[in-house]
Amino acid sequence: WRAPPGTRTLTPRFGPSKPMLAFRFLRALTLVHRTAANSSNAARSRRIQRAAFASMAYSAGPRRAWSRALLCRLHFHRARRRCAGRRRAAGVPRRPSTTGSPADGLRRLVPGGTGMDYCGLLEETADYIRCLSEQVKLMQSIVDSVGPGGR
Amino acid sequence: MEKERFLSVDCKSRDMNSGAVADQLPRPFLDLSWEQPVHHGAQFESAISSLVSSPSSNPSAGNGSVVVRELIGRLGSICDSGEISQASCYRTPLDSPPKLTLPVLGHLQQGGGGLPMPGNEMADGQFTPFAANPGFTERAARSSCFGTWSYGGLGDQSGLPEAGNLSRVPRSHSLKSAGALRMGVLDSGKDASKSNPERIEMEMRSKLGGGMPPSSTSGRTMAGGAANNVSRRKAASKGRGKEAPLSCSNHLGLQAAEDEHPDVKRCKSAKNNGADKDSVVKQETEQNIGASQKKGKENNAKPPEPPKDYIHVRARRGQATDSHSLAERVRREKISKRMKLLQDLVPGCNKITGKAMMLDEIINYVQSLQRQVEFLSMKLATMNPQLDFDLETLLQESMHQEHEPLPQQLYPLEGTSAAFSYAQRPQGSPLQSAITNGLGVGQQPLCPFDGLADATSQLGNFWESDLQYVVHMGFGQSQGAEFFSQSLHAE
Repeated sequence: WRAPPGTRTLTPRFGPSKPMLAFRFLRALTLVHRTAANSSNAARSRRIQRAAFASMAYSAGPRRAWSRALLCRLHFHRARRRCAGRRRAAGVPRRPSTTGSPADGLRRLVPGGTGMDYCGLLEETADYIRCLSEQVKLMQSIVDSVGPGGR
Repeated sequence: MEKERFLSVDCKSRDMNSGAVADQLPRPFLDLSWEQPVHHGAQFESAISSLVSSPSSNPSAGNGSVVVRELIGRLGSICDSGEISQASCYRTPLDSPPKLTLPVLGHLQQGGGGLPMPGNEMADGQFTPFAANPGFTERAARSSCFGTWSYGGLGDQSGLPEAGNLSRVPRSHSLKSAGALRMGVLDSGKDASKSNPERIEMEMRSKLGGGMPPSSTSGRTMAGGAANNVSRRKAASKGRGKEAPLSCSNHLGLQAAEDEHPDVKRCKSAKNNGADKDSVVKQETEQNIGASQKKGKENNAKPPEPPKDYIHVRARRGQATDSHSLAERVRREKISKRMKLLQDLVPGCNKITGKAMMLDEIINYVQSLQRQVEFLSMKLATMNPQLDFDLETLLQESMHQEHEPLPQQLYPLEGTSAAFSYAQRPQGSPLQSAITNGLGVGQQPLCPFDGLADATSQLGNFWESDLQYVVHMGFGQSQGAEFFSQSLHAE
């Protein structure tokens, strides 16, 4: 199966694809609810959060560096969790960026930002912000649509 | 011609001006040694005295240039050894060439700035090394303004209180008194600013040499090095410094006085761009000086040919014109464009100006978005049973909005709809409609979810199928596709 020739042009260059994002996330959400109904809320929320990021990254496509880095990180963590048990690595305490460029904080936030020049970092940040806001809007709409009656 | 100038400003020269040598070319260098009393005074004196003593015996025309060259060489070595640390704070410090000309240029600057060439006929053999151009004075004046500019840049970088010195330099130049010039140069010749006058001198020299055909390279090693350094420096320098020297060179034919002020203004305007350009011009100056020296007397009043980079003057006014500066400017414009985009994305950033604050604002916004995702995911985790969407319908609706729906997508949907809609409730439609409305018009055809029907309850399988999905989507980036396919196989 090959994507129709017009597919690629349809992929928005500057922004996530909302339908795909919604579909992926909803699918993941239902999966999480279905398969982990007995786990704690915290664990489920963790999985949902990961699913949110994953769907974000997938819908953004491999063209963006941040989506690739995000998926890499997710897969890596998943593999580590499987192979090394539930052991969690201690987080390295973050030092304030008194030395170094002011963009260091941004590099830490945006996935894949450490290996980028400043110019590319800004562009990735813009795309990342777009996708993040879309994801937040989607999740918010889901929560809202469920209504206050949600358990 | 320059020599007379130097001699006139020699009032404060040290006792090194002794004997017949005092009237000769080396004398200016003695003055230069005075410029850097702190660091290199002793060294300079020793070198200069040695140099002075050697040619003192035969101050003929031909030896003048030799003497000059030797002096420059010695001084350059001294400067190098003295480690003008301030040079390091500039982007591409070319050690040897700028330092070589530093003392000479400084002196030239002194002489040229204030004195409008009282005796241009000094262009006999002894004085030819100093750019027999009558416009040399003007160039020296220009370089003085560069000194101002570079001082400003230095002050910003090294934190030295050079601002005060800066103001003095142009004023001193306009004063047309060697003493005043000396003072100005002296002040700027302090520790950190030592490199600046050198650079300024380099620039001056470059302008002077601009008139000389570039082919005439001096025999001095430094000149050759300067040539290389010039190209390198020019590549590394950015900003508008180049423009100033270029425009200065244009005015070489004019009187020094009236050119000083516009140059000073230009230099002051270019101050903010840092002192990188100084080095570049200095390199040129060095090369040009060497060339001029080699050529012999050129007592003509022809306007000096523009420096090498004058050709690329298509850049904006007051901006550097070499390829690297242009690239830098393009890069800066790209960055500013992206910052504007970000400003539009981040709400409430219209009033904030400045890169640092914008960056902070952006970081805060990204952090807040990530926190929102976490919070919403927590909320969604607790809303488990109420979630019910008929994804099939959703997909169909999205598909209908596309211009090229794929019939293949219906098949996997049959398998997935059962898996997804595990609770039939009327609320599903509001959810669907809300989501559909929120999604907007579907822009992308949905791919067949091959592995979806048999997807296990593991979230990893979700990712796996997504990998397949992505691969099928045929995203353009091979890198991403490879990664995705590899991950798929690794699963």
